[in-house]
Amino acid sequence: MTQQMMNQQSKLDQLFENMERVMVGKRDAIELTLVALFAGGHVLLEDVPGVGKTMLVRALAKSLDLDFKRVQFTPDLLPSDVTGVSVYNQKNMEFEFRPGPIMGNIVLADEINRTSPKTQSALLESMEESHITVDGMTMALSRPFFVMATQNPIEYEGTYPLPEAQLDRFLLKLHMGYPAKQEEMVMLDRTSAGHPIDTLTSVMSKEELMERQRQVKEIHVSDSIKRYIVEIVSNTRKHSLIQLGASPRASIALMKAAQAYAYIQGRDYLLPDDVKYLAPHVLSHRLLLNSEAKFQGESAPSVLEDVIKKTVVPVERG
Amino acid sequence: MRLRSEHANQWMDVILYVGAMLLMLEWIYPLEQVTDTGNAQIFFIFVVYCFLLTLIYIPTWLTVILKLFGVFFVMHALFYDLPLLSLEWIGLVFEDIRGNIGELWGQNWDALTPSFRTLLFLVLLWMLSYLLYYWFVIVKRPFPFVLLTIVYITLLDTFTAMDGTNGIIRTFVISIIILGLANLHRIIDRERLNVPVLNSVTKWLAPILAVVIISAGIGYAAPKYDPQWPDPVPFLEGAAESSFGAGGGGAGTNRVGYGVNDEQLGGGFTADPTTVFYAEVNNSHYWKVETKDVYTGKGWVRSSDEYQYTGADANISGLEYYGESVEFNSRETTLKFENPGNLDKIPYLYGTIQIVPEGNVTHEYSSRTGELFSLFEGERVVASEPYYMYSDFPSFPQNAMREVPTSSETEQDSPYLNNPDSLPDRVGELAEEIVADVDDNRYDQAMAIEEYFENGDFVYETEDVPRPEEDEDYVDQFLFETQRGYCDNFSTSMVVLLRELDIPARWVKGFTGGESAPDQDALPDAGSNVYEIQNNNAHSWVEVYFDDVGWVPFEPTIGFSNEASISTGEDVDDLMDGETDDTLDASDESEAPEPDQGEETEDTDADDSTGVGSGSDGGLSILQWIGIVLVILVTTFVVLKYRMHIVRKYRERQLKRDRQLESFPKAYDTLIRALNKKGLYHESGQTLGEFAKKVDRRLGNGDMTKMTRIYERYVYREEDVRASHEEVVELWNKLMDKIFSERS
Repeated sequence: MTQQMMNQQSKLDQLFENMERVMVGKRDAIELTLVALFAGGHVLLEDVPGVGKTMLVRALAKSLDLDFKRVQFTPDLLPSDVTGVSVYNQKNMEFEFRPGPIMGNIVLADEINRTSPKTQSALLESMEESHITVDGMTMALSRPFFVMATQNPIEYEGTYPLPEAQLDRFLLKLHMGYPAKQEEMVMLDRTSAGHPIDTLTSVMSKEELMERQRQVKEIHVSDSIKRYIVEIVSNTRKHSLIQLGASPRASIALMKAAQAYAYIQGRDYLLPDDVKYLAPHVLSHRLLLNSEAKFQGESAPSVLEDVIKKTVVPVERG
Repeated sequence: MRLRSEHANQWMDVILYVGAMLLMLEWIYPLEQVTDTGNAQIFFIFVVYCFLLTLIYIPTWLTVILKLFGVFFVMHALFYDLPLLSLEWIGLVFEDIRGNIGELWGQNWDALTPSFRTLLFLVLLWMLSYLLYYWFVIVKRPFPFVLLTIVYITLLDTFTAMDGTNGIIRTFVISIIILGLANLHRIIDRERLNVPVLNSVTKWLAPILAVVIISAGIGYAAPKYDPQWPDPVPFLEGAAESSFGAGGGGAGTNRVGYGVNDEQLGGGFTADPTTVFYAEVNNSHYWKVETKDVYTGKGWVRSSDEYQYTGADANISGLEYYGESVEFNSRETTLKFENPGNLDKIPYLYGTIQIVPEGNVTHEYSSRTGELFSLFEGERVVASEPYYMYSDFPSFPQNAMREVPTSSETEQDSPYLNNPDSLPDRVGELAEEIVADVDDNRYDQAMAIEEYFENGDFVYETEDVPRPEEDEDYVDQFLFETQRGYCDNFSTSMVVLLRELDIPARWVKGFTGGESAPDQDALPDAGSNVYEIQNNNAHSWVEVYFDDVGWVPFEPTIGFSNEASISTGEDVDDLMDGETDDTLDASDESEAPEPDQGEETEDTDADDSTGVGSGSDGGLSILQWIGIVLVILVTTFVVLKYRMHIVRKYRERQLKRDRQLESFPKAYDTLIRALNKKGLYHESGQTLGEFAKKVDRRLGNGDMTKMTRIYERYVYREEDVRASHEEVVELWNKLMDKIFSERS
């Protein structure tokens, strides 16, 4: 391992350490969040309230010295509440643009499925295109730009489920899950003397982060791995329990995410293990199971597990 | 798209199953030929019926009923006259089954009725039709059955009269198509292909068909080597000592053994190793039982039923008459009957003069028929106690026999000169032809006739021997039509040919010398010179009368030799115990198959005196043959057992020398294979890292993971890992050592 890589690795360790101070026992979630961040993608967090979704994002924002914005999505939220609005300044006799929360570096879109599809798409489109158009003015979003949307499980009432086309724009979908009892006790200890998030200091600058995002793109992906990725994705299209398989965009997402994951592991090349580990997180929200699967009580992750198990891992060059 | 592929799958299943049926039918074809099964076409139809029923997807209960009905119908058609499924019919079937189950319970296999055996066979066919459905259609593994079928046909072709030439071609064609289809099916399953399969079936079938047609065509048309090994059949037959006895009447194949009625000769027979008697005797000799004098054109009878039998206690010196020129060696033998069966006469050696039974038994005998009876309270029986016999074993003087003129004009010889009027003229012509260039004396002419059968045209054969038709002569049929047969054919023909030359000759029945049986219990006081004479040893040969010498035995049957001794004259004194310089029969020389005899000629290596070890001089002997097979088996076993070690050594050397690590993938692959053998399977969906972890947990170290890290860099980083050469070699060896030391 080169000196440079060692350096990077120690920075990453610090980052993990920082965040783990706030998020007890959630290393996987932290890691996956960083994967999305380094891969330049966005994360959809699906879980019940109170398990630390917001805390995760805030800890990340603080550790990275990034501009953190938060939008609480409610049924009456308008697109302009997200993107910003031009306001007439009587003093200057001009319209002035008041940027919305989307102009931050890290945007927490809380309970995204509680707002109307119109507002949802305002956010999701900007995520994909990295700029917004308000009143005929096109404005680039800040860089880096990282959206972390949370949604309550769709079974809950008063939700507008995100359509598949929109879901496709999230690189990963995460579940936080409840902490283990032991971990929850540690959390209680830590919060008794004030919330630990207040003690966090930044360990990585904005520029450094963007440099890392650039480096991730250079992680080596051999042809055999590319074939493996394509194989997994195309197998989702053939599976008897899947009505709509993953798109080519999913293949790209899987590769990018795996690259970022390898990067975090301190490797400059991709292993099938990376792909295999990330596939459920990258693909599960992009599949539409058929009714048979539902009757059989299968979920997207379990079907994906089957797909991955049956996909032959390349063990030779080429 | 799905529907179409389902449809194609169904069609493939149908083709597979029909193939299974055709292979199954290949099992039925030979039955009629190699077993006593009759009406094979009915079984044929039944098999097709069962397969068709399985094929049309109807409920299981319905197929069961229909097949059961099929079974009943076949049974009805074959065995029962009563109306099908009437009360009496059911009663009869039930009674039949009940009786047979009783016999089964008592292990009386011979007592099972044909109807019950047929029933069992039908049930077996039924089961097979389902089993094959499972093998072929459900699991798609037709190979075991294909292999079995090929082995079955080749074995039958080798060891029975069945000709498997066409069967093997049919089987080959069906097998290749089936295996190809099954493989295609497995590939489709494995790859979960969703392409319009119907097209790909035709795409697949085209090359398969091309391969089949071309290879079968070339195979059929190409010149073939003759067998490189001698045909094992004669050896096995020899080992079973399928000499024969004149069996009783009846159609089809007889069981070998001593019979009384010889009026209808011909037909094949099967071996029967039942022991008739044990004899303690210093050498293996023919045992004479009786002679017959009248040839009817179909078999042998006696010229009169009323002979003068001479009564005697022990001294039977008048049984045979020998002239003064004959030299003798005295013999003592003990004979004990084990299982005489039909035999009511006492077999004896040539020159027997005294017979001393234990117990209160007298004897009577006739020199005319050569019969010797034991009498117990006036009844002809064979005693279960041992008989002690004394013989003056004759040694016939060649010179004296050569002085006897060919034709006999003596009145008393006339019964031994008659041939039936119906005998075709060509038999006589043949006799004249054989002796055309032979010295005009009885001995040389008789020898010429005896040797005629060794000219290569004649085949020793016990099974496929036809009976003469109503208007055919038994001898004529053998000499000119079939030229294959067993001792009866040869001996009768020789007698008839001799008589055509006016040489007095008669037909003798008895036993050959049998197998040495040192471990028998019947004669506890006997030494090691004990012979076991079985039904298989029943035999017939020829006696020729020489004035002033007597009746001299001749052995025309190819592959047999008579121990009767012929003395050449001067050195009579040297003859000890009949181990003579010149035996009557030249079969020792004839045993080596003549090279131009062609493969049809079975080298009947049925020499009774020499037995199993004798083998043949030409080509490989059966022992060598067995040796070769053994060596191949052992080598195969060793290679299979130690192939991982061999591969390991090879790879190790390759890896050590290969500094560029080009052989790295192969070495790694070998590692995985070795692990597979130890039960650590690398599944296709498993990454190497996961596999390595599993291996390390089992082997208790981290070497596999280390090794895999390097391999991963090689494969996925596409890195040049030659810098790690030493580490790779070391890890590889360490792992291999560990794997081989693991107990699987």
